[in-house]
Amino acid sequence: MKTRYMLAALASAAVTTLALSTAVQAAELRMAWWGGESRHVATQKAAEACGVKHGHTVKGEFTGFDGYLEKLTTQMAGMTEADIMQVNWPWLPLFSKNGNGFADLRTLKGLDLANWTDADLAAGSMNGVLQGLPVSTTGRVFFFNKTTFDKAGVAIPTNWDEFFTATKAIKEKLGSDHYTFNAVKETAHLVTILAVTQATGKDMVDPATNRVAWTPEELAQGINFLGKLVESGAIRSQKEEAADGNVNLFEKPAWAEGRIAGSYEWDSTYSKYADPLKEGQVLEPVPMLKLAGAVTDGVYRKPSMVFSISKHSKDPEAAAEILNCLLNEPEGIDALGTSRGIPTSKAALERLGDSDKPEVRANKIVMASSGPVVSPFNEHPEIRGAFIDTLEEYAYGQIDADGAAEQIIDTVNDVLAKFD
Amino acid sequence: MRGQRILGLAYLAPYIVGLVVFTAMPFLTSLYLSFTSYDLMSSPKWSGLANYERLFTRDRTFLKSLNVTLLYVFITVPLKLAFALFIAAILNYKLKFINFFRTAFYVPSILGGSIAIAVLWRYIFASEGLANMALGTVGLAPVDWFGDPTNALFTITLLRCWQFGSAMVIFLAALQSIDKSLYEAAAIDGAGKVRTFIFITLPLLTPVIFFNLIMQMVQAFQEFNGPYIITQGGPLKSTYLLPLYIYDEAFKKFNMGYASAIAWVLFVIIMGLTLVAFWSSKKWVYYAGDKRS
Repeated sequence: MKTRYMLAALASAAVTTLALSTAVQAAELRMAWWGGESRHVATQKAAEACGVKHGHTVKGEFTGFDGYLEKLTTQMAGMTEADIMQVNWPWLPLFSKNGNGFADLRTLKGLDLANWTDADLAAGSMNGVLQGLPVSTTGRVFFFNKTTFDKAGVAIPTNWDEFFTATKAIKEKLGSDHYTFNAVKETAHLVTILAVTQATGKDMVDPATNRVAWTPEELAQGINFLGKLVESGAIRSQKEEAADGNVNLFEKPAWAEGRIAGSYEWDSTYSKYADPLKEGQVLEPVPMLKLAGAVTDGVYRKPSMVFSISKHSKDPEAAAEILNCLLNEPEGIDALGTSRGIPTSKAALERLGDSDKPEVRANKIVMASSGPVVSPFNEHPEIRGAFIDTLEEYAYGQIDADGAAEQIIDTVNDVLAKFD
Repeated sequence: MRGQRILGLAYLAPYIVGLVVFTAMPFLTSLYLSFTSYDLMSSPKWSGLANYERLFTRDRTFLKSLNVTLLYVFITVPLKLAFALFIAAILNYKLKFINFFRTAFYVPSILGGSIAIAVLWRYIFASEGLANMALGTVGLAPVDWFGDPTNALFTITLLRCWQFGSAMVIFLAALQSIDKSLYEAAAIDGAGKVRTFIFITLPLLTPVIFFNLIMQMVQAFQEFNGPYIITQGGPLKSTYLLPLYIYDEAFKKFNMGYASAIAWVLFVIIMGLTLVAFWSSKKWVYYAGDKRS
């Protein structure tokens, strides 16, 4: 009898040891992301649900977009980054130029990579190493305040010519303090890119030479288009915008009241811009407006963001389990919904199904529009800074469009040369 | 005796460790980094004087930012000191509710460095903000506080001047410590209030003015929150103070070596101006009982 008990005890000990050696231990994980209120709430719920499912604790570290890069940079340099991180896709070359900035996701067992296409995984790879899982594909899309257009008795425009006609009508009927569009800083940069891309069909960076693909004349035309938006009264001048101080569009009373009736924003940020509108106002995602003679829609489409796992994580397998749950398992998919746009993961896409939500319609516009492959260098901090600073000089009349184009191209080529 | 010495060192140890780890080491490390090319993600690469050469010969942004910073300091510090002394002189009188007024005037300096106050400032001086509404009620045209590069720096300067409380409290304490018999003697000699202030109060306040000058100057050179939150250095870099430039280079552009070089130039400027102030103090600062005076 004693021997039987001894054998049973030994057997159970062996089974327990085996189980412990294969299953992932309960872990305490940190997860960092940026976003707005709705994304924060959704992600906290998803992290909690996935934590309960897999027996881990997930502590959220979340903030707005402003300052997130600086925080992440400091943490990466100090090796104190969170176990799971939301990383903007254009930042991958900054943190992981050689593919060794984050954990190699192909080596982690808990991730079901079959939910992504090879192209998706290539977009999240640096130097052939999978550094981040694409969460969604995003792009800039036009949002217009339908209520303002209705009030003026004009239809939402379908091309730039109609847009300028509608602007005139809105000014006449609703007053000179009404604007049909917004283009400040980052948006001014991307509207300029849009105008040049529509006219030339080329992205800013030529992948063959790693230099600016546009001629100064082509870029000058894009800058002149920005000038035309101001001259026609479609957008407020940079000076008028600066007079409000550093305030986001969605925080401005003029936006909430419909006096600024449109913008060019990421499809996934629909709620951020629709939520502050006063009751009864409707924000519509609108197909790409095209210039006369455009050779492409010029859509600025890219992986919106990736989720990466820290290479310093003490529990990378536990982090992989949570990440897989967030992106591929019902608990995570249901809680996250479309808070980060329309998911790239096949499992999530299937579960969420088709919908007529504005975010979904906005994403469909992005996916259906044509345009060249966008280089991550478009959003390199120094390149974006060069655009924003020079466009400001142009707006204040310190430089003309030709001079601005040459200045931007010189600066961008200097930055690109560092990556040769 | 030896035991006491060890005990004394043990008491000092937390401070010494803090000083070495959090001040001395970063200070010296930044000096080393200023001679390197360092992107935070890979090891620093020695580049000699390249960062300094770029700073002084090719970087237009640095020269613009340096000009803006010097202008900001030279406007802010005298304005703030004059205002703090003026309010302190008023609060030195025996008025009704004087303690309430002293507290009320000190409060902004407690709140002053906070993000919330900078945000509040942004709303007050926005195009449709409180300041322009107030101007409108008296029939004046609105002012473009942030959009006009000339006004933007002045508006940021006002924020710093509004935080005069700490300097004011020091002035107030100094005013209260002046020997009353000096004022009585001056009154007997027929001196009016203005002459008394100029020839008795001011000379006796010079050590405190000197102290406040140094402190406020150092703080003004390090101003960050106000311009970062309100204007982000714009428009046309008219409020782009050096600390903002250092921050952008270090954490937005990953040029930590270059940012360190700018930080060291800023340090040398502050040190230089402080030495000038100390040197000049022999000529204008009066210490009671000092035989040199």
